[in-house]
Amino acid sequence: MEEQEIKKAVRDSYALVAEQACSCCSSTCCGTSEPKEISKKIGYTEEELQAVPTGSNLGLGCGNPIALASIKEGETVLDLGSGGGFDCFLASRKVGPNGKIIGVDMTEQMVKRAKANAVEGGYKNVEFRHGEIEKLPVEDNTIDVIVSNCVINLVPDKELAFREAFRVLKPGGRLMVSDIVLLKELPEFLRESIDAYVGCVSGALEKDIYLDAIRLAGFQDVNVVDETVFPLDYMINDPTSQLILEGLKISADQLKEIEDSISSIKVNGFKPR
Amino acid sequence: MKRDLLDILACPLCKGDLTLEVFEENDREIITGKLCCKACSECYPIEDGIPNMLPPDLRD
Repeated sequence: MEEQEIKKAVRDSYALVAEQACSCCSSTCCGTSEPKEISKKIGYTEEELQAVPTGSNLGLGCGNPIALASIKEGETVLDLGSGGGFDCFLASRKVGPNGKIIGVDMTEQMVKRAKANAVEGGYKNVEFRHGEIEKLPVEDNTIDVIVSNCVINLVPDKELAFREAFRVLKPGGRLMVSDIVLLKELPEFLRESIDAYVGCVSGALEKDIYLDAIRLAGFQDVNVVDETVFPLDYMINDPTSQLILEGLKISADQLKEIEDSISSIKVNGFKPR
Repeated sequence: MKRDLLDILACPLCKGDLTLEVFEENDREIITGKLCCKACSECYPIEDGIPNMLPPDLRD
């Protein structure tokens, strides 16, 4: 698949989510699982989920409450693939009025939705930019923390994405991403499917390769701080999950095989001082 | 887009500094305008308060 083709497919698909996902989220709207239920499974607290504008949680991320917990007052946080703005709004409360949150997303409809959510919620320290993760519109050495939830697997050039993350972080800054990685090679019918790519699966790298890409960018102390099996029902909110599960006519055995190949990890890395 | 967040914004292509041209602004933020790179001269539109910092080949 060509990189441009992938990017377009990813954008089109998430544009659809941005437009369809509604606070009335139902089985006919954007999947069979409520975003809130998915987010609770991931580890966000009820209090956190109540605190953000309705509609900012699209139930898409694999989540990183650990990263959220590390954010301190006054820090500048960059969210790669900010979607509806859910993590940005949670981080906003942590950094306070002296901190800044910047969300970058390449899907226009997502950025618009996030912006509307920010206005609705009265967030003064959160800004969204329409931009690309591999070509960040951010100055060198300006960011304290980079967070990203289940997004880098969608980026065709992951090494470049991590190099960009390294560039914009201040010395001593930290990268705290959650993502989907593979524990073994996917069945071929999924690898070749652009729908599965958009559903976060076939774009994922094998775990070791993913971690090496972070180290190659220059990060030190790269550690997996949490790892869980990634049940496919996390993907159920994804617009392509139906295609994957129904269109591809996956049997129960095949589904098990796919589940055993996919893992959700939380990784930390640090830019040396 | 708020003015105080402008200082950490850079050109996505060459990472150069940007100049801001404001077409419309309210008491909160810049609504429409243009950001242009001092180094490579590429410009990026600000519409509905959102800077479009996508590289030109990815813009619709």
